Amino acid sequence: MRRALALALLLMARAACAEVAEPPGLWTGPMQGETPKTLAGARIVDADQVKALAAAGALLLDVSAEPPKPADAPKFWAPIHRSIPGAVWLPGAGRGDPDPVFAEKFARHMAVLSGANPGRAVVVFCHPACWGSWNAGKRLARNGDRPVFWFPGGIEAYEEKFDVAPVAPDRALLAAP
Amino acid sequence: MTRMALVLILSCVAVLARAQDADEAGQREKRWTDLATVLFDGRAPAPAEGLIDIDAPNRAEDAALVPVRVTLSQPGAVEALWLVIDDNPSPLAAHMIFGPGLDARNLSFRVRVDSYSFIHVVIATAEGLRVAQKFIKASGGCSAPMDADEDAARKTMGEMRLKWGKPQDGATAAKLMIRHPNFNGMQMNQLTRLYTPADYIETISLRQGETKIFDLDGGISLSSDPVLGFGVRLSGAAPIEATVTDSLKNVWTQEFAPPSTGE
Repeated sequence: MRRALALALLLMARAACAEVAEPPGLWTGPMQGETPKTLAGARIVDADQVKALAAAGALLLDVSAEPPKPADAPKFWAPIHRSIPGAVWLPGAGRGDPDPVFAEKFARHMAVLSGANPGRAVVVFCHPACWGSWNAGKRLARNGDRPVFWFPGGIEAYEEKFDVAPVAPDRALLAAP
Repeated sequence: MTRMALVLILSCVAVLARAQDADEAGQREKRWTDLATVLFDGRAPAPAEGLIDIDAPNRAEDAALVPVRVTLSQPGAVEALWLVIDDNPSPLAAHMIFGPGLDARNLSFRVRVDSYSFIHVVIATAEGLRVAQKFIKASGGCSAPMDADEDAARKTMGEMRLKWGKPQDGATAAKLMIRHPNFNGMQMNQLTRLYTPADYIETISLRQGETKIFDLDGGISLSSDPVLGFGVRLSGAAPIEATVTDSLKNVWTQEFAPPSTGE
């Protein structure tokens, strides 16, 4: 009996360790892969909550990567990106390197997107198992100037319940000097 | 009066909800119309009405390797087939031109699906173009890094196998397996953080002697190590010759013996 209990505890401890822990800073490893279930400073939300937040005026920030057009791409190249209606798609905003120039550009662009409400709540997302939205959420949560919601289920989880719509990339972030 | 207002409000809400539903469906339809306009020079394919059946998982386990089976009920009247994955950056996965040596009743492909998307199969018949569609839930099939070692994949590139199945009504089922990583240029090497340069299959052609079985234009929406299923109308003992070319201008040719009849 006691051995069974010890074994159960051991298994539980192992299961706990198998979960991905939050890195102390931004994640710089492979961008596709299992993420932590939490993000310190941000609230985790599901599709219904995202829809409600959007209706209440939150900024929807999609940080999905944009597929690079290969140098030798087939002739018929016609990329399309479907996201949560009303979302701003900032490809590249999920990067994890500590480049201070990018950090400043990101902060400045967020201020632009927030318009008249500098404390505008933001929902960050991309796809499932995508570290990009975790990183962008981490940056925003660290700044601490607005409520941050992380939607780990991403576009696919939203699409399970609601309509998605084609969204063009907002390239101003990367183009800014 | 208040009751009437309530009914009005409720019906407005219902209309709004429906408008939003129609929104995604409408946008997906527009995407297909746009693609078809480019692919078929403005000719709009008509519904296949039972000529085409598409069998594919509603939800794919592996987005980089989604099996798609196409059944044609009147294959004799079909000259060519297009397999289109609407939302892939390179939507045309395969364009197959049928030869007299092909039995096209049952065809199969393995494709990459990058996001929730319709796939369309279009056939060219004497009466014009016909189309059928199916929605597939899969995501990340195009950017999925290769599991296997890239260098190892390059060493076996171009190796082929032709596996014979059962004879049925004058034709024999066959599977052509091609070793090729079919790099699409969108896969990031997780160690080097560099995109692996594109190197993908452009054409696959199959002949028995002078008789064409099929010619296929591929692309980056076919999976790595693609597998094609089809039927062959064999004529005599001449070998089957398969030729594959890729975007780096590699050419591979291999001959296969027709199946022994067992007599």
